[in-house]
Amino acid sequence: MPKVVYVSALGDQSVVIGQVGESVMAAAVRTGVPGIIGECGGNSSCATCHVWVRDEFRDLVGEPGDLEDDLLDLGVSERRDSSRLSCQITLTDELDGLTVDVPAEQP
Amino acid sequence: MLRTEINELLTQTGPGTPMGQLFRRYWQPVLLAEELPGNDCPPVRVKILSERLLAFRDSDGRYGLIDEFCAHRGASLWFGRNEEGGLRCPYHGWKYDVTGQAIEVPSEPETSNFCANVKLQSYPLVKIGDVLWAYLGDPAKRPPLPEWEFITVPEGQAFTSKRLQECNWLQALEGGIDSSHVSFLHSGSLDNDPLFKGSRGNAYNKGDLKPFFEVVDYEGGLLIGARRNAEEGHYYWRVTPWVLPNFTMVPPRGDHPVHGHFWVPIDDENCWAYSFDYHPTRKLTENEVAAMRAGMGVHSANDASYRPLANKDNDYLMDRDAQRRGETYSGIKGIALQDASLQESMGPIVDRTKERLVATDAGIIKARQKLRKAALALTEDGTEPVGNRSVDQKVRSVAIVLPADQSFIDGIGEAMVARPGVGQTTV
Repeated sequence: MPKVVYVSALGDQSVVIGQVGESVMAAAVRTGVPGIIGECGGNSSCATCHVWVRDEFRDLVGEPGDLEDDLLDLGVSERRDSSRLSCQITLTDELDGLTVDVPAEQP
Repeated sequence: MLRTEINELLTQTGPGTPMGQLFRRYWQPVLLAEELPGNDCPPVRVKILSERLLAFRDSDGRYGLIDEFCAHRGASLWFGRNEEGGLRCPYHGWKYDVTGQAIEVPSEPETSNFCANVKLQSYPLVKIGDVLWAYLGDPAKRPPLPEWEFITVPEGQAFTSKRLQECNWLQALEGGIDSSHVSFLHSGSLDNDPLFKGSRGNAYNKGDLKPFFEVVDYEGGLLIGARRNAEEGHYYWRVTPWVLPNFTMVPPRGDHPVHGHFWVPIDDENCWAYSFDYHPTRKLTENEVAAMRAGMGVHSANDASYRPLANKDNDYLMDRDAQRRGETYSGIKGIALQDASLQESMGPIVDRTKERLVATDAGIIKARQKLRKAALALTEDGTEPVGNRSVDQKVRSVAIVLPADQSFIDGIGEAMVARPGVGQTTV
């Protein structure tokens, strides 16, 4: 089962044992990781599960989808090349150890 | 969900703003033709994109749209005398033609050349269909004249009205591309309104409160598809076109005339809703026109200044009993005022940083992003926006039932293309 590391703006780490097939947002909400809200429940419409994916995982995670890309442009506090909505990243065994930074604020 | 600076970018349309520059790349409706009914008729004040202008029609029937204020000492030319080929300021008799050129300054010596050097800002104003259109941008970038189907169908097949809406243009537009609210806010009107009732689509609309949205890029903007359950193995699709920056159409119902809107910024806190109805293949009936004039369908009953009689000062004539009986879902009568009451209630410019969007808002998200990108591309790179080509404007809304396994964009074929003499695709 893939392990996910969420790093807060203050540097605190939350480590979650995820399930293959669930999203990075859902794993965080299920276990109460601070800073990941997931208000719309994973529909790519609220932009409250924004994360920055660490460089070593970016290729594995891939690029944002079309609507997700618009939401990142319009809604999040600081869009970077590594920005993703965590509801749109599905966990696989290959993503074991995935590390993401959580912004200080979600919209 | 929207960042503050993007909300400001999208909602501010005055001179020099990025969205203001984008709007100044398009012909926009600025008056109904009925507002300048004859030669030398009274001039009409026009405020558009935060500019104060004056429209008039001279003795030869030429239309002019000029700066509202006299070049001499700034008096409003609305008080002027429209006579003998020009508009004369009643203060000291300065006279201007439809291009804004001063043609007489009677106090100056006859040998003086003074008036040749006085010219007010002016913009082209042309009548197409029942609407007077203006272009406020760089003359070198002026696009071809508008070709929307509602202004090009034969005489008697179209009707256009306008009404004041007391909020920013974008929150009005966003209502126009959000099919989801129809199943709630307008549900009573689907049964009662003579311009809506009696179509099979209405039952699908009311039977499925959780539409799924699919948004597709299309020529001058977007096609926003809202999918609802129909008979087994089928979906009912309502396809709403939006063309940059402010044109939307409502998917048709039965053989009723097709309708749509232009949402034209007056300033940042007010807009005009230009609302049209037309039928591609037949004249409107007397009953239809009478209903439209009475403010039914997408139209409204207004005072002489085109402000709805039901407005925020009288709580839109809220009728709690009708709400309770289910005759109207919100208690407000008429589709236009049902929308306007809620959009105006958000405040003059809604704070979008606080909104909480859901999956049915996909069309709104895509439209905002397209507007933002078009405004930035124009102002930062000089890239001309889409929306002015014939192919952009020859567009129609569609209502259709398709097999469940077919995507709407495949299923509608050419139905979203306006074709002279070919009827709308409707359920």
